[in-house]
Amino acid sequence: MSQAVFRMAVRLRLAQSASAAFGLVAVLIMVGALFPAVGDAIGELDLPEGVADLLGGADYGTITGWYRGEISSVYGPLVAGGIAIVAASASTAGEEADRILALILAHPVSRAGLVAAKAAAVAAGVLIVAVATWVGLIAGVAVAGGGIGVGNLGAYALHLAFFGFASGAVALAIGAGTGRRGLATGGAAAFAVLGFLINGFAPLVDAIAWLKYISPFYYYAENDPLSNGVEPLDLLVLGLFALAMTAIAMLGLQRRDLRA
Amino acid sequence: MYPAIETNGLSKDYGSGHGLFDLDLRIERGEVFGFLGPNGAGKSTTMRLLLDLVRPTAGSASILGLDARADSREIRRRVGFLPGDLALYPKLTGMEMLDHLAELRGHPDRGLRDSLAERFDAELDRPIHELSSGNRQKIGLIQAFMHDPELLILDEPIAGLDPLVQASFHGLLAEVSARNRTVFLSSHTLSEVERVTHRIAILRRGRLVVVDSLENLRQIAIQHLEIEFTAPVPAEEFAGLPGVREAKADGSQLTVAFEGSADLIVKAAAAHEVRAIRARENDLEEIFLRYYREEAGS
Repeated sequence: MSQAVFRMAVRLRLAQSASAAFGLVAVLIMVGALFPAVGDAIGELDLPEGVADLLGGADYGTITGWYRGEISSVYGPLVAGGIAIVAASASTAGEEADRILALILAHPVSRAGLVAAKAAAVAAGVLIVAVATWVGLIAGVAVAGGGIGVGNLGAYALHLAFFGFASGAVALAIGAGTGRRGLATGGAAAFAVLGFLINGFAPLVDAIAWLKYISPFYYYAENDPLSNGVEPLDLLVLGLFALAMTAIAMLGLQRRDLRA
Repeated sequence: MYPAIETNGLSKDYGSGHGLFDLDLRIERGEVFGFLGPNGAGKSTTMRLLLDLVRPTAGSASILGLDARADSREIRRRVGFLPGDLALYPKLTGMEMLDHLAELRGHPDRGLRDSLAERFDAELDRPIHELSSGNRQKIGLIQAFMHDPELLILDEPIAGLDPLVQASFHGLLAEVSARNRTVFLSSHTLSEVERVTHRIAILRRGRLVVVDSLENLRQIAIQHLEIEFTAPVPAEEFAGLPGVREAKADGSQLTVAFEGSADLIVKAAAAHEVRAIRARENDLEEIFLRYYREEAGS
């Protein structure tokens, strides 16, 4: 891995990651502040099974259900996945489209080393968001009156980080393999949205219930880390998937011409 | 001693007649070699092939005795490259960009960089997005030269530079050449290569048209004589002479364009009272256009 490429990639995305992190902390505290007044009033919604699953169980009457519905089901993965996908698409395909990559690769940097450095930088950006999520949740839950342990909040942030790694790695693989930023962003976003829908609806039909296992959302949320803590096997699956996608990205960039 | 660049049948076929075809080229160490051709002739493609940014569909290339594909990383350590469509990180200052590129090479020595910046009067403390194209090009030149590479591959190096900086750049080329560094530069600005190169190659539609020294090319180029008579002389007397391409009379002045020997023209002129004869120096523009037209017509 090229450390110089890694440092520059982190630097170029730092403002974006930091602003997302500050925004997340603010939102998570605000959500916690709303719980005493709103969460208790809503209670548990009586929704069809699939829809309730999409909303993290739709149980707004408990602090765990409240954060699961408000943050864990959509908002958290949207921010972490979005940050990862945008950063990963910009890092190789974006720099190639902007014509900077040709200058960088005219230096003694291997293509595989460059991809590894870019992947590590995307992971660093996601980790910043995950740490901010943890801090924001600790503060938010405290404002709401407590009810979720710091360990479980950290477990959720960890699952969120691994979901971000997986989403970003898909964008990296598409971007490095094609050199097309739009395709990388759109393809990875489609992958995430499809995963969300498959995880929510596939279990409703027995014949295709197994499809949930191909969704990154399953490994991100199924174990409910806010309630049950870390599930190492889920993190292992997401981590291995991200590594496999990064390896595909290395091969993809290695095997092709840089676009003019 | 191995040459700085050697290609054998190097080809990159993009389809529809675009790309580079069967390039055989040998550039010796210490040469300043000009690569000429109109836009889309394949100059940039050649340079990108040499640096392994694109891969050949046929043929091979060796740089500094190393295989352009297998030893690409070592080659890139020893080569300085200025892309024709230079792009830099816009939010960085010139200094930060150069620091980053030096770091990629593991070459933190700032002495040469600072002297180049002074030589080109480069603005390194402002964000790149605030710089003019000429000032960005200066940063591009500094990064190509700042590690004192054995080979410089420069794609349209004087694009956007003012005449003073161009002169400074030409002086730098002479200096690095004197230290046995090799320069491979492309241009469609003919006056640029005419001033600084030892040999040139002309490329058209991806194929090499000619490789030769400027001296030899000038000898085979169309030459011009301006003859001033004491009285008007009919141009037809000269237009039919062997080797004469064109004869134009303007009052008592006659301009003759010809190939080969001027002997018959001078003898024909001697039949009249001649006040003065001037030979106009052949420039590369005419050589270039001649090859261009021949190819276009073939």
